[in-house]
Amino acid sequence: MSQTIIKQHIPRDDLLASGHLACPGCAAPIAMNLVLKALGPETMVVLPACCWSIIAGPWPQSSLRVPLFHTAFETGAAVASGIKAGLVSRGDTETTVIAWAGDGGTFDIGLQALSGAAERNEDFIYFCYDNEAYMNTGVQRSSATPWGAWTTTTPTSDPEHQPKKDIMAIMAAHRIPYAATASVAYPVDLVEKVKKARTIRGTRFIHILAPCPPGWKTQNDETIDLARMAVERRIFPLLEVENGGDWRFTVDHPGGSIEEYIRRQARFKHLTDQQVEIIQAQVEARWEILSNRVKYGT
Amino acid sequence: MSDRDLTRPNDSGRNIPPVAISETSTLVNPTGSWKYIMPRYEDRVAPCNAGCPVGIDIEGYMYLIGQGRLQEAADLLVRENPMPAITGRVCHHPCEDSCNRASLDEAVAIHAVERRLGDMILAAPPPPAPERTRTETVAVIGSGPAGLSCACFLTRMGYGVTVFEAAAEAGGIDLRTSTRVGTDVPWTELDEFDAVFVAPGAHVGKDSRIEGADGLAAIRPGLEFLKEVNAGGRPDLGERVIVVGGGNTAMDCARSALRLDADVTVLYRRTPREMPAIPQEVREAKQEGVEFEFLAAPIGVELEDGEFTGITCQRMELGEPDESGRRRPVPIEGDVFTVNADTVLTAIGEDCDLSFLPDEVHTTWGLVEVDALGESTSAPVFAGGDVVDMPRSVADALGGGKRAAIGIDHFLREKAGEDVTEVPLDALRFGGGNVSALRYTNDEDPIPREAPVNETVTWEQMNPNHFHTAPRHEDHFHDAIDLRSAFGETNFGLSQKEAIEEAERCLNCGVCNRCELCLIFCPDMAISRRDDGGFEIDMRYCKGCGLCAAECPRGAVTMTREGI
Amino acid sequence: MKKVMIGNHAVSWGVLRSRVEVISAYPITPQTQIVEALSDMVADGSLPAQYIKVESEHSAMAACIGGSIAGTRTFTATSAQGLALMHEMLHWAAGGRLPVVMANVNRAMAPGWTIWTDQNDSLSQRDTGWIQLYCETNQEVFDTTIQSFKLAEKVNLPVMLVLDAFFLSHTSEPVDVTEQEEVDRFLPQREATFKMDTSDPHAFGALVRPDAYTEMRWHQQEAMREARDVFREIEDEWEAITGRRYGAVEAYRAEGADLLLVTSGTITSTSRHVVDERRAAGEKVGLIKVKMFRPFPTDELRGLLAGVDRVAVLDRNISPGHGGIFAEEIRSALYDVPPEDRPTLFGYILGLGGRDVTPGVINDIIDNTRSKAQPEREDLWVGVEL
Repeated sequence: MSQTIIKQHIPRDDLLASGHLACPGCAAPIAMNLVLKALGPETMVVLPACCWSIIAGPWPQSSLRVPLFHTAFETGAAVASGIKAGLVSRGDTETTVIAWAGDGGTFDIGLQALSGAAERNEDFIYFCYDNEAYMNTGVQRSSATPWGAWTTTTPTSDPEHQPKKDIMAIMAAHRIPYAATASVAYPVDLVEKVKKARTIRGTRFIHILAPCPPGWKTQNDETIDLARMAVERRIFPLLEVENGGDWRFTVDHPGGSIEEYIRRQARFKHLTDQQVEIIQAQVEARWEILSNRVKYGT
Repeated sequence: MSDRDLTRPNDSGRNIPPVAISETSTLVNPTGSWKYIMPRYEDRVAPCNAGCPVGIDIEGYMYLIGQGRLQEAADLLVRENPMPAITGRVCHHPCEDSCNRASLDEAVAIHAVERRLGDMILAAPPPPAPERTRTETVAVIGSGPAGLSCACFLTRMGYGVTVFEAAAEAGGIDLRTSTRVGTDVPWTELDEFDAVFVAPGAHVGKDSRIEGADGLAAIRPGLEFLKEVNAGGRPDLGERVIVVGGGNTAMDCARSALRLDADVTVLYRRTPREMPAIPQEVREAKQEGVEFEFLAAPIGVELEDGEFTGITCQRMELGEPDESGRRRPVPIEGDVFTVNADTVLTAIGEDCDLSFLPDEVHTTWGLVEVDALGESTSAPVFAGGDVVDMPRSVADALGGGKRAAIGIDHFLREKAGEDVTEVPLDALRFGGGNVSALRYTNDEDPIPREAPVNETVTWEQMNPNHFHTAPRHEDHFHDAIDLRSAFGETNFGLSQKEAIEEAERCLNCGVCNRCELCLIFCPDMAISRRDDGGFEIDMRYCKGCGLCAAECPRGAVTMTREGI
Repeated sequence: MKKVMIGNHAVSWGVLRSRVEVISAYPITPQTQIVEALSDMVADGSLPAQYIKVESEHSAMAACIGGSIAGTRTFTATSAQGLALMHEMLHWAAGGRLPVVMANVNRAMAPGWTIWTDQNDSLSQRDTGWIQLYCETNQEVFDTTIQSFKLAEKVNLPVMLVLDAFFLSHTSEPVDVTEQEEVDRFLPQREATFKMDTSDPHAFGALVRPDAYTEMRWHQQEAMREARDVFREIEDEWEAITGRRYGAVEAYRAEGADLLLVTSGTITSTSRHVVDERRAAGEKVGLIKVKMFRPFPTDELRGLLAGVDRVAVLDRNISPGHGGIFAEEIRSALYDVPPEDRPTLFGYILGLGGRDVTPGVINDIIDNTRSKAQPEREDLWVGVEL
């Protein structure tokens, strides 16, 4: 076959409506749509503050065709725990509860609640759609912002100092039954992971890289291409971690130079060639670590 | 203000609830108004179609095979090419040279798929002859690919067609064999026809210019030899055979001679790079054991006791390029050698015998002058195939025949007083390639093309990320040892299963195959499926991000500012 | 069924009888015994609730909010720093009109570290939109816990029931534990007005623009106003079952008084004792106990205080830069009373950080209130020794 006909693997019904307020080319609604397709209508969504608070539509609108609860920035995991407990107390053990948070709500302000819920192995799926900064407030750095990136709080004269926080290692350390990374550029992989997660009980964590045209300073139509490149070049490898110890890559990662990925994003345009090489080295070092996790487990 | 009761709200009918609970979807937001550029489904022409001299909708039949619609695929193929079983075997398949898939891994083995479909058609009962709907009749001179193609298309258009063939055998239609126009039938007798299509081919072997060759039985025109073999003759050529020439006729001679148990050497005055023969033919000839002597030209004969023993050859080198762009062979002074041989077959090109044509039909350099639709300087005389100025290939001949059929139809309709406009030649062509008969007759296109633009899609316009590599199925060949004894087919093509797999390697360049990636990647859910299988973009919600166009694997979505 | 129990366990028993469905809590002194007892009840199956042992009070309230929007009856308990940490989510529960019930054991705010009682923790949450009910005895704690759920669910507002650290929370008293069947009649399973339901999906809490935010807050205020009447009806119903009622405001020996003490929480019990002594001595001293702080019982207080010569408000709290919080609220309530009926109001700050408020202290306050023509300042500090 010339092409995997992926439509056969993607449920047809949309649970996300048009007219939502995402910027053109935003990956976040693509991710949400795929996730909801995989989960189906028996799903409830908890939405802490993030871009999606806007994308979902202002009152009296909702872009979702499933119940949605908007909540405070740091409470995604806790509110999801409560909703699940409420459902279970009334005998509903089947409805899937998900928290849908950005990188800020996950890596930063929501990490405590997430850690608490994960440690308790609360029965919900936590999704982090990661656009690598506080985009909704106008592109401020988060602990998911990659090294060297410009944001409005890491100006080009003093760009981001720290590499991206290793959230997967953190989640794996909680020994939750299932954690995975996913990409909008790999819809089948994403949908399969969500479907798999749905069948598992306990805390499940899925981290989705979500390129952001205004925040990354890229063209609107590059979103998928960049997401794909991030996977191929090992910047954002696609993997699964079961029970915190069994790591597995789920697609091929041919690797290669990350230069094009970096150079196509104007948030990195101030970087010198030497600095791009530093990023290349970081990616390779991290790949080595991940490969060892896959090989030996954690 | 002073009159208002501020202890209670006005009853405005807004019914604001106590909490922010949604009551409607975001469909109320016309977010499509944000866009400054918008997508449009526009199918384009696959490069194979544009590269096919016959004008076959290759992409189209590949699409149908991909859908499991084999019979429809065969119907579409034969709609544009009356003899796919033949072209599947002998065509030099320029379609594969232009196949975009070569940029991914290897070109699709189009010829093999065509051959399979062609064989499928041959195996099925022949379809009923087309109904005669026109009163006019057309004479076709020559039953080669150009003549038969023209005759076939004219017949389908409802004309009465008579084919005149000088040789004793040919295939198809209302045929008068052993009837050479100008000899057996005077040209003037063709006046009873409303039009004439001249396609007798090139059958006069060029003079080999070997000194002393005249009258020697050991030196034969290759074409004549091939005709003899084709007619069942098995002449004794002796042990050593020299074939002079580097074209397809030379290869045919060499491989036929091999099968008559001779050791064969091909003598060619340039290098392998300049050989006009189809590379595959050369490759197969080598595999079968044909020797090659390059940069050598025969100049004289070697006689021993009046008996022919071989030829004298001049060693050549390549000089400046000639008008064909190939480097001209130049003799190396004093470098002469001899080659022993029992027979020499000359195959250095063929000329046309146009002596039967009246003067009004102008010729230049031994070729009939025609326009794009085959019309000569003296309507109703049309011409095609080897007698006009175009590449001498089966495919070009078939394509020329098709164009001439269109030209003749148009001419006759105009003559009959029908309200006909100029033939929209550009629109009939696949991209810049040959014309489509289906388009000319306005038949329904079995491929659901969306707003097709007659422009060939380039590899750069496509998105290769969604394709994965898959090795090309190569034709199955007979073992080389057996070849020398067999005049049958040496290439067995692909199995049905392989051919279908090969068709599935087709990328459907430029043509939406409903893969639905646009739908999956649209962040705005603005794309929906239409009942007819196509897609619809709801411009109320499309924000113009361009992801559908960027991610379309086959370049079938275009971004445009038109209509914003 | 009468049982001797500490105030914290009176809460736990009230929660048990209320058949709470989701509990989420985090330990903090002096509240911890409430949730410890609940843990036992859930563990032994007597309370078939989902119990989420969260990692912070912020998450405790967030989880209760989750349970509540799922349509269930939810409960948590906290004190002081824990309550302060919840602050953001208190707004969320109230603005989301979710009937979460929380017990707050009054504990003074750090620093310096303290575990002892005062009301600054709960009063700091005055404007979050929670109903606040201050209890005086363990029996009242038990009764109020059950009533809180009914009140919360009727008006779709969260309720905070408040009890003093140690003086109530850790002090044993006999409590008549109402039988389960009687409570069930009084408080059936919650039927949520707003909840997440996949068969009728809605979004809750989306962005509200200026054209509707005020209207939603108006609804909230109306619910608060309605809560006063609803609370009265609930007390009527509870009284019919148990014979007990407390009132949003209680007047104790106030008839004909020329001086009224105004108290809340356990100071009330001590004050009752002092009033009894003073009455026995022929003084016209009475007592007003304020149980309901939000919604503020403005009309009742006005009715009880207008025409009285002097009022002494005992505040176990301080709004720094202003005065005692109850005193300020009552001053404000009395503003519309005609000047000739308006009492002279003395606001006393006392008992902060768990300092004992003894009968002697209250007697001093009565004497001071009688002896001065006017209070020297809006906040009069009792027993401050520098």
